[in-house]
Amino acid sequence: MKRFLETGNFAVTEGAIMAGCRLFAGYPITPATEIAEAMSVELPKVGGYYVQAEDECAAMHIAVGAAAGGMKTMTATSGPGFILYADPYGWAIGCEIPIVVLNSQRVGPVSGITGAPGQGEFYNSRYPTQGGNYETIVLAPNSAQEAMELTVEAFYLSERFRTPVTVLADQLITDGLEDISVPETDEEKTAMGMRFVERKVNAGPDFYPPSDAIDIPPVVLGKGTGAMCSDWTPTEEGYDIETVEAHHKHSYRMIYKIRNNRDVITRYEELFLDDDPELIVVAYGTPSRTVKTAVKKAREKGVKVGMIRPVSLWPFPDEAFTRKAIYLTVELLYDGQMVREVQRATPCDSPVHFFGKCGELPTVTELHETFDKLLRGEPLGRIGWEREAW
Amino acid sequence: MDKLSEKYLRARKIPSTACSGCGLGQAHKAFVQAIDELNFGIDDILWGTSIGCSGRQTFGTWKGDNFAGTHGRVYAIARGLRLAIAPEMKIVLTVGDGDAFGIGLNHLLHAARTNTQMTVLVCDNLGYQSTGGQYGWTTPPGVKTDSSPYGMYEPNWVQSGRDVLNIIQAAGATFLARHVSMEGRPLVDTLKKALQNNGFSLVHCVFPCITNFAKNALGSRNSVNMFNWVRNHAAPLGQEAGGREIFWRTGIYHDASNTRAEFSQSVKEKTAEIQREVSG
Repeated sequence: MKRFLETGNFAVTEGAIMAGCRLFAGYPITPATEIAEAMSVELPKVGGYYVQAEDECAAMHIAVGAAAGGMKTMTATSGPGFILYADPYGWAIGCEIPIVVLNSQRVGPVSGITGAPGQGEFYNSRYPTQGGNYETIVLAPNSAQEAMELTVEAFYLSERFRTPVTVLADQLITDGLEDISVPETDEEKTAMGMRFVERKVNAGPDFYPPSDAIDIPPVVLGKGTGAMCSDWTPTEEGYDIETVEAHHKHSYRMIYKIRNNRDVITRYEELFLDDDPELIVVAYGTPSRTVKTAVKKAREKGVKVGMIRPVSLWPFPDEAFTRKAIYLTVELLYDGQMVREVQRATPCDSPVHFFGKCGELPTVTELHETFDKLLRGEPLGRIGWEREAW
Repeated sequence: MDKLSEKYLRARKIPSTACSGCGLGQAHKAFVQAIDELNFGIDDILWGTSIGCSGRQTFGTWKGDNFAGTHGRVYAIARGLRLAIAPEMKIVLTVGDGDAFGIGLNHLLHAARTNTQMTVLVCDNLGYQSTGGQYGWTTPPGVKTDSSPYGMYEPNWVQSGRDVLNIIQAAGATFLARHVSMEGRPLVDTLKKALQNNGFSLVHCVFPCITNFAKNALGSRNSVNMFNWVRNHAAPLGQEAGGREIFWRTGIYHDASNTRAEFSQSVKEKTAEIQREVSG
């Protein structure tokens, strides 16, 4: 085991290379630029390629192109670049090309504050391209260490489900310096729960079987298999076709290969839920760490509060939200996005509240004030634009 | 099916879904002929296409591996593919004028800058015909289309002393040429040269659209008129004089084949050098 005091950017690079990533294409953008820089240093050392593209749209197209050619590839960006990934993201979903995408969220909308954390792409990561008729896989780390581990997991899932997988991080994770343990042996990797799978080649003639099965190798171009992939609705053999029946088969696979195999993907962390707490706080990414501290300290004072941290954001871990309680979501934005999913997933008679911060983490004191108000049955409204809207 | 089709094309895609009288088949056939004359086999070519008439009618016709990419971005996809597939396998792309000179121009220029091996055949039917016939970036001046009902009055990429091929040359392309689709043998010979360049090659090929362009610009869907109209507005480079209005100067514009390192080759060589330094 190697140990470093390094940033999440470094950790992601270590994880990607460990998982077999051999091409990274990117476009500089704060706070994900250092991933590109780290890749430009590390990839050539293992025989991999770093490509700096003319824009984000090209960056992901280059990465998806190389993935279609049989390489494990990755790209990384922040919100303003992530929306420019919409085009190639759709191509990768439709052509079922495995690839890993990291989005280090910052304050938005648009350019916002480049060096402050945000969580504004919760829904954008669920719907990263046009047209609907698909499901996505999104994993959200809350530390540099976990960023490395979930990058490895993202490569694993992308291969098994032959689809792009997004690692949804934030500025504090990618820029923050932390203690990182990098496994060196297979035993160490297994002990960390890391899973790996090799790229295989689908030799046809059916490149797109109309089923929810996973572990079907992706189409790989350049191997002389007569492979076909396109942005049009495909037949099983890959020909383009314009019939609703063919599109039904195509969409069925896009949606149900993920929905029907949720157990391979879904993960979440629970804290203090065994004694049916009155209040359950929900947070993902960096703010979940402050929330965890606040919940632990509240417990020490005898407050019956628990916590759920979704790690897989999409599919959303509905199974974690069956308890009747008061729910509070804590997010790094003012409008609230995950709160809607929590409202959807929780029992009908459980109220769901929202606490938003923007560009900075909530403090433990703020969270304790909020817990107390909710448990006393008081509204959360504080000042002006900070008023709770839920 | 003729012999070439039998050898290289998928039977289920013939006849193509192109409109009656479309000139795209001429361009496509010339490409296959060039491939055959160079003795390339099915597994030597990875054929990419994009959206619109050129992409839709060509995708899946090649018996070997092929793909259709997003509009204007196939050059970026091809740059990724180029790094992943065997260096001896050729990438060919058949794209439209909108794809090459509009939405994709920036990506095209960067493919040229890096001299990434791909042979791009821009099949130009003078506008956006698969969406019903809107003007494009090579629509001749004064021509009426569904979105230039008063005649095309925007400057385009091929007239008025401005030529998009010069821009692509300045960007670093190592082979550039232009033809009209009815120039069968010269087009085949040019494509053979383009395919023999281990770098970025582009051949601009104008072809007649009967369904939309001929109807709007020439007032009828008479295919003979349309073919003659295209032929009469083209002349070999240096022979533009003679009283005719010339839109397309044809022939080889720039041939610097194999004079500059190919993108994937450079990247791979540099990577190997770094690996040696690190390990040594």
